[in-house]
Amino acid sequence: MSRLQNQPTLRVDTNKPLSFTYKKKTFSGFKGDTVASALFSGGIRIFSRSLKYHRPRGLYSLDGECSNTGMEVNGIPNVNAEKTLLEKGMQVKAQNVKGSPELDAMGFMDSLDRAMPAGFYYRTMHKPARIWPIALQQVRKAAGLGKISPDFRMTGEFDEIFPTTDVCVIGGGPSGMTAAIAAAETGLRVILLEARPWLGGFFDYRQSEFSRDLPHYQRARELEARMQTLPNIRVFTHTAMVGAYSNNLVTAFQIGNEKDPFDERYLEIRAQSMIVATGCIERPLLFENNERPGVMQIACAHRLANTYGILPGKRAVFSVAHDLGIEAALDLFDAGIEIAAVADIRDNPSHAALVSELEQREIPYLKGWVAREALGAPLKSVSLTTLQGTFEKKLECDLLVASAGMTPVTGPLSMAQAELAFDQHTGFFLPKSLPVGVYAAGRLLGLNDSRAIEASGQVAGLSAALNCGKASAQALKDAQEMLAGRPQAERGCNLVMAPVKGRKAFICFDEDTTVKNIKQAIDMGFDATELIKRFTAAGTGPGQSGIPGHNLPLLVAQHHTDHGALTRPTTMRAPLVPTLMATYAGTNHLMSKRTPMHERQKQDGGVMRKIGVWNRARYFSDDFSCRREIENIRNNVGMLDATTLGKFRIFGPDALKALQRVYVGDMAKISPGKIKYSAMCNEDGCIIDDGVVVQRGENDYYFTTSTARAGITVEWIRYHTRYDGWDFNLVNLTDAFGVINLAGPKAREVLSEVIDADISNAAFPFAAYQEFTALDTIPVRIMRLGFVGELSYELHVPGSWMETLWDALSEAGKPFGIANFGLETQNVLRMEKGHLIIGSESEQRTTLHDVGLGGLWDRNKPAVDTVGAVALQQTENQEKRLKLVGFKMKNTRTPPKDGSIVVDDRIRGHVCIARYSHTLQEAVGMALVEDPLHAVGTEISIYEDECQGQLVSATVVPMPFYDPKGERLRS
Amino acid sequence: MFDRHKPLWGKPPALKQSYDAVIIGGGLHGLATAYFLARHQGMQNIAVIEKKYIGFGGAGRNTAIVRANQRTQQNVPLYKEALDLWPVLTKELDYNLMFFNCGNLNLLHSEAAMSAARMNIASAQFQGVESHLIDAKTCKEMMPALNIAEDITYPIFGAMFHPPGGIVRHDAVVWGLAKGAAKYGCHIHQHTEVTGINVENGKIVSVDTDQGKINTPRVLLTAGGYSAALSYHMLGIKLPISVLNIQAMVTQPLKPLLNHVISSGAYHAYANQTLKGEIATGAHMDAWPNYTTQTTAYYIRHQAQAITEMLPCLKGVKFMRHWSGLADMTPDMAPIMDGNHPIEGYYMNCGWGYFGFKSCTATGKYMAQFMATDECPEILKPFHLGRYAEHRLMGETAALVTYSPDN
Repeated sequence: MSRLQNQPTLRVDTNKPLSFTYKKKTFSGFKGDTVASALFSGGIRIFSRSLKYHRPRGLYSLDGECSNTGMEVNGIPNVNAEKTLLEKGMQVKAQNVKGSPELDAMGFMDSLDRAMPAGFYYRTMHKPARIWPIALQQVRKAAGLGKISPDFRMTGEFDEIFPTTDVCVIGGGPSGMTAAIAAAETGLRVILLEARPWLGGFFDYRQSEFSRDLPHYQRARELEARMQTLPNIRVFTHTAMVGAYSNNLVTAFQIGNEKDPFDERYLEIRAQSMIVATGCIERPLLFENNERPGVMQIACAHRLANTYGILPGKRAVFSVAHDLGIEAALDLFDAGIEIAAVADIRDNPSHAALVSELEQREIPYLKGWVAREALGAPLKSVSLTTLQGTFEKKLECDLLVASAGMTPVTGPLSMAQAELAFDQHTGFFLPKSLPVGVYAAGRLLGLNDSRAIEASGQVAGLSAALNCGKASAQALKDAQEMLAGRPQAERGCNLVMAPVKGRKAFICFDEDTTVKNIKQAIDMGFDATELIKRFTAAGTGPGQSGIPGHNLPLLVAQHHTDHGALTRPTTMRAPLVPTLMATYAGTNHLMSKRTPMHERQKQDGGVMRKIGVWNRARYFSDDFSCRREIENIRNNVGMLDATTLGKFRIFGPDALKALQRVYVGDMAKISPGKIKYSAMCNEDGCIIDDGVVVQRGENDYYFTTSTARAGITVEWIRYHTRYDGWDFNLVNLTDAFGVINLAGPKAREVLSEVIDADISNAAFPFAAYQEFTALDTIPVRIMRLGFVGELSYELHVPGSWMETLWDALSEAGKPFGIANFGLETQNVLRMEKGHLIIGSESEQRTTLHDVGLGGLWDRNKPAVDTVGAVALQQTENQEKRLKLVGFKMKNTRTPPKDGSIVVDDRIRGHVCIARYSHTLQEAVGMALVEDPLHAVGTEISIYEDECQGQLVSATVVPMPFYDPKGERLRS
Repeated sequence: MFDRHKPLWGKPPALKQSYDAVIIGGGLHGLATAYFLARHQGMQNIAVIEKKYIGFGGAGRNTAIVRANQRTQQNVPLYKEALDLWPVLTKELDYNLMFFNCGNLNLLHSEAAMSAARMNIASAQFQGVESHLIDAKTCKEMMPALNIAEDITYPIFGAMFHPPGGIVRHDAVVWGLAKGAAKYGCHIHQHTEVTGINVENGKIVSVDTDQGKINTPRVLLTAGGYSAALSYHMLGIKLPISVLNIQAMVTQPLKPLLNHVISSGAYHAYANQTLKGEIATGAHMDAWPNYTTQTTAYYIRHQAQAITEMLPCLKGVKFMRHWSGLADMTPDMAPIMDGNHPIEGYYMNCGWGYFGFKSCTATGKYMAQFMATDECPEILKPFHLGRYAEHRLMGETAALVTYSPDN
C-alpha cells in the first residue's frame, strides 16, 4: 500500500524499504515503521487471536497497552509488534492461532462465553475428581500466548549502565522537555527518558497550531533543538522507564539503534529529583465488540496517518469524548478518509472552533451520542446511541475511532509511592501527595492546553532543581504564576460505559474479561478492585493494565455506592513495560572468587568446584575416592590451597576484650608464639565457627575463621560489641593472604628447603606460631597445625607472593613426592582424625557440647561477656540432643552414603560423613545421633535412600579413628 | 449454565457482640482454621477479622508451590497431610483449587548438596513420602529447557525429585475456604481492624475492633507477617520473628514450557509455570527486615541472571509483574503453633516464613482441633513457642540462618 507522502510529521523514510517475512510471504515496510505498521500497510488487519475466546484482534492503541499485536519475532514470543521497529529480514509469526489469524480453527470459542463466566475454572472440571488431571492439560495447552523453544538461545549484546544524575525526567513530550530545559538551565545534570524512538510526545504527530504559524510538531522540534544546546542534558530515546524504587532509583531499558553497540541496554539511574511527565493514554470506550479489528483509539488512527502515512480506513465513524478526537477527524478527513459522523459523549466540546471546522467539512457532529455496538467482522457498521440509550442509529463504516477520553499514565508515580486519588472534575486518578523529590508535569495532571502543559513542565523542572539546591524560589514562583494564568484542567468525560449489557464489551483485552464478567464477580461478593482483578484476571496480562487500568476501578465503584473509598487504581508493578530477562540479566554478575593458585591448580588437573563464594579444587585424582592423594599425604607430603580461610587482624587497646566476647575460650591465655584454637557460638550456644588465634604484638592479634564465616565475621564482632565503645580495629585480610597447607610426614624436609631457620620439632613444635622469611625475601607466617592428622604447616603469605612460594615448595618437594591435594582428600583425612567441619558435622541447632567441644568453653570467664555462654550453661546437661559420634560399619566395607539417616522406629539422626578409609582398611564415619544412642558401643541402624527398608548396622566408637595419641602431628 | 451468581462467602454479615472464637487474619491459615472449626469441629459461631480483604497478604503473594520434602520428621508429616488435603478440599469445598501435581525438581550443584539432599530424601522415604535423587542427565530429559553445561556458575549435578508436589491456585484456596467457612456459619469481616485484645485473670475475654467490641473466650492470631507486631503491641508477647520481604515475579504467559516446579538453593531461585502459562519465579528473602512490601531493582536483575543460567531460553521471555510480600522468619525456619500459653484462650499460628501456603490446609485442620478441644494435637506439639527458650531449635534448616544479626 502506498503511503501518504506529504505529511510533514512522517517518521518513516519511504526511500528505505525493508523486507521481512510473515506467513511465509515477503512483506515490505520502510525504515521507521514498526512491525505492526508495516503489516497494516501490507493489508493485515488481524494480528492475533485473543487468549480465551480466540477473538480476532487488530491495531488498537499503538502504545502497547494490550497484547493485540503480540507476535513472535525471530523466535521471541510476545513481541509487541506495534512498538517494535521493523528490521530487515525479520521473521514474524502470529500467536495463539490454529491456522491463521484470519481463519482460526479455535474461533468457535467466542460463542462459548456463557459457559465461561468469571472464575468458571474454579467451579468446573473437578467433578468427578478423575477428570481434573486430564482437563488441566487442556487448560495448559489453551492458556499462554506465545511459544518459546526450549532450545532458543538469545543472541545480541545486552549492556548496562548505572548513571547518577541530579534530575531524571520521565517522558520526552512537551512538558518533559520543558522541565528538562528548566532544570538544566540552572546548571544541573539532567537525564531524560523517552519510550518512543523520537521526542515530542503528543505534539509530534499533530499538525494543528501550537501558536500562530507554529504547528505542534514544529514546537516539539524547537524544544528538542533547545535541549541539544544544553550539554548537561542526556537524552535517552527508545528507552522505556520500567521501575521506580526508594530514593528515586529509576530503572529503564533502551533499545539500541544500528549505531549503538548494544541491542538492549539496562539503565539504573539514581536521581536527586524525579519528574514524571508521562502524559496520557486513552481510556477505552466500553461498548459491545469494542475490540473488533477496525475499532481503534484516536491517537492510533491519527498516528497511522500522520506518523506512518497510512490511511487507517476508507469510511470512519468517530465516537469520542475529547477534542483530540475532533482534531483527528479533521486531519483524517483532509488526508482522504470519509467521515460518516463524529459522535461526542460530552455535552459541549472545549473548542467551538473545532466543531465549526467539522461543519465546514460537512461532517455530521452528534453531541451526546456514543457507540453502542460494532457490527460485522470485518467491521461493517456501527450502531450509535444517545447516552440514555433512547435513540439509535446505524452507520456503515470500516473504521470506528472510539475513546472515552484521556487517562493519565501514572505507573511511575504509583511505583514511586505517590498517593493517587480519584478526581471528579477530570475523572483522573491524580497525585494527592508526592514523595519528596518526586514531581509531576503535563497532561497527566489533567491539563489540555498546550501552553499550560509546557508551563507545568517549567514548574516541575524548577521544583526539581530547587530540591537539588539550585533555582531560586522566585523563579519557581514566577513559573507557578504563569501556569496559574493558563487554562486549568478540563472537565473529563464521566461516562464509564455505553448503555449496553456488556456481554461482549471487553474491559480487558488480554484476558478477555468483559463488563459482564466484572458484574458477575461483584455479584459473587468480590468487592475490592484488587480481588476482582485476581478473580477475573483483568489487568494481569502483558498490557500491564493499560486497557483496564482506569475503567476497572470506575466500573467497580459504580456498583458499590457504599464503598467510595474503593475507587482506587490497582497497584502498578514493575516492570511497567514488559522487559526481556536478557535485558535485566545484562552481563552476568554471578561471579566466584579465585585464589592466586587457581589457574595452576586447574593445569595440575584439579577439578574445580564453586564452594561458597570461591572456586576451589575439589580433587586431583581420577575418581572421587582420591586414594592416591590420600595415601600421598599419609606417606609423603602434599600441598592444599587453603587461601579461602577467613583471616583477620584485630588490634587496639580493647582487641582482647572483643575476642573474649566472641570466642568461648579465655583468650587472655594466649601465649606468644603459640596457637590458641577456639570456637564461636551464637546465643543458643550453637557452634558457628572455629579457628585459631595468635598474638603478634601488644594488643595485636591475627586469627582465622572457617571459609564460610569469613564474610560475616567483621559484622558479627561489630554487632556484639556495638554498645561497648571499645577501641579496636578489625581488618579482613582474607583476600590479602594466600594460605598453603603443607602436610605429610616429609613436610619439614620440604619446608627447610625454602626457609633458612631452625624448624626442628624442638625449635618449632606442634601448635607453635612463628614468622619467617622464605627464600630470603618472602614474609611468611607459619602455624604448625594438624587438621589432616599429619605433621603440617599452614603458611600464610601475601597473595602476590603466593605463587612464587608455591612453586618453590613444589620444586623442593619433588624428591619427596610432593603432590597437590584437594578438598575431598582433606575431608577424608580430617574425618579419620575426628576433626569436624562446621556445617558438615554440625547443624544450625548443634551446640558446642553436642559436637564434643564443650571443653573449649572456659566457664570461669564472666558468662555475661561471652556470646552464647548462658546457653552453654543451660544446655550442658540437656537430654535428647543430637550428639556427634564416630562409627564403624559392621560386617561391611561399604560406607553408607552421606546424608543417610539413623533410625529405629523413628529418625534418630543422620550420617554427616562416611568413607572407606584406606588408612584404616574399614568403613568409618561421623554421625549426629540422638542422646542416648551416642554412647560408645551402641549399635545404630542406618537407612539409606532407595534402600527399600534394608538397614545397615554400625557401632558407635570413640574418635579419632586415626592416630588417637596424636603422635604423627606432633612428630 | 451459570446465570445466577450468589456471593461466595455470603452477604457481608453484621458484626456480632460475641463469638465463640475470633480469628485475626483473613489469610489462608485463618480461613482454613475457620473452615475446619465450623465444618469439622462444630464450632460455628466464629468470626474471621481481616483488616484489608481476604488473601491480601502472603496468601495472594506466594508462588503457589506445594511439597512435602521437608527436612525433619516433625515437619514432613504435617506437610504430607497438607499435600494430601488438596484433592480432598477441592471436593469438600466444591471449588476447584486447581492442584497441578507436576512434581518438584530441586536442583543440586555440588557433591555436598547431593549429600544434604540425600538426608531429605532418606527422611521422606522413611516416612512414606516419595522423593528421589536423580542425576543431571535425567533432569535434562525431564526438563529440556534446562542447561546442564559445566561452564555455568553453578553446574547442575542432579536434583531431588519429589513427584507428589506441584502448584495450587492460591487465590482459589482463599476463596474456596472462605466459601466453605461461610457456608457453615463463620462470619468473615473484611475491612475490619483489630485494635486490641483484652485479657482478664489470665484469660482472653474480648477483642476490640474499629467496628466494635467482640466478646470471645478464644482468639487465634494468624496474621502472617503482621503477627509478631500484633502479638507484641496487643499482648506484650515478644515472638522470635524477623519480618523480611520476599519478592517474586511472573513473565508473560507462554505455552507449556516447564513441566515441573524447579528450584535451586545455590542460585537462590525457583520457577514454575502456572496453568495460565506465566512463569512464576522468586527466590530468597531480602537481607534486611522490613514491612514495606516494596520490590527492589537488584532483585529482579538477580532473578533474571540466575534463572537464565539454568533455563537459558528464558532470555527471550519478558518479565511482566514483580511483587513482594512478608515472610515472618523464626530462628529455625519452623513455625510457632501454640495455645493457652501464656494466656488461656490465646492461640497463635505464625512464623511460617515462606512455607505458609503449602502447610495451610493441615495446619488449619489441627489448629481447629486444638481450639475446639483445648488439647494440643500430637502433630503440633513440636512447634511450641517454648522451644526457643530451651535452645532446642528445630532442624528444618541445616545451615546457619543469617537474616537477622540476632542469630
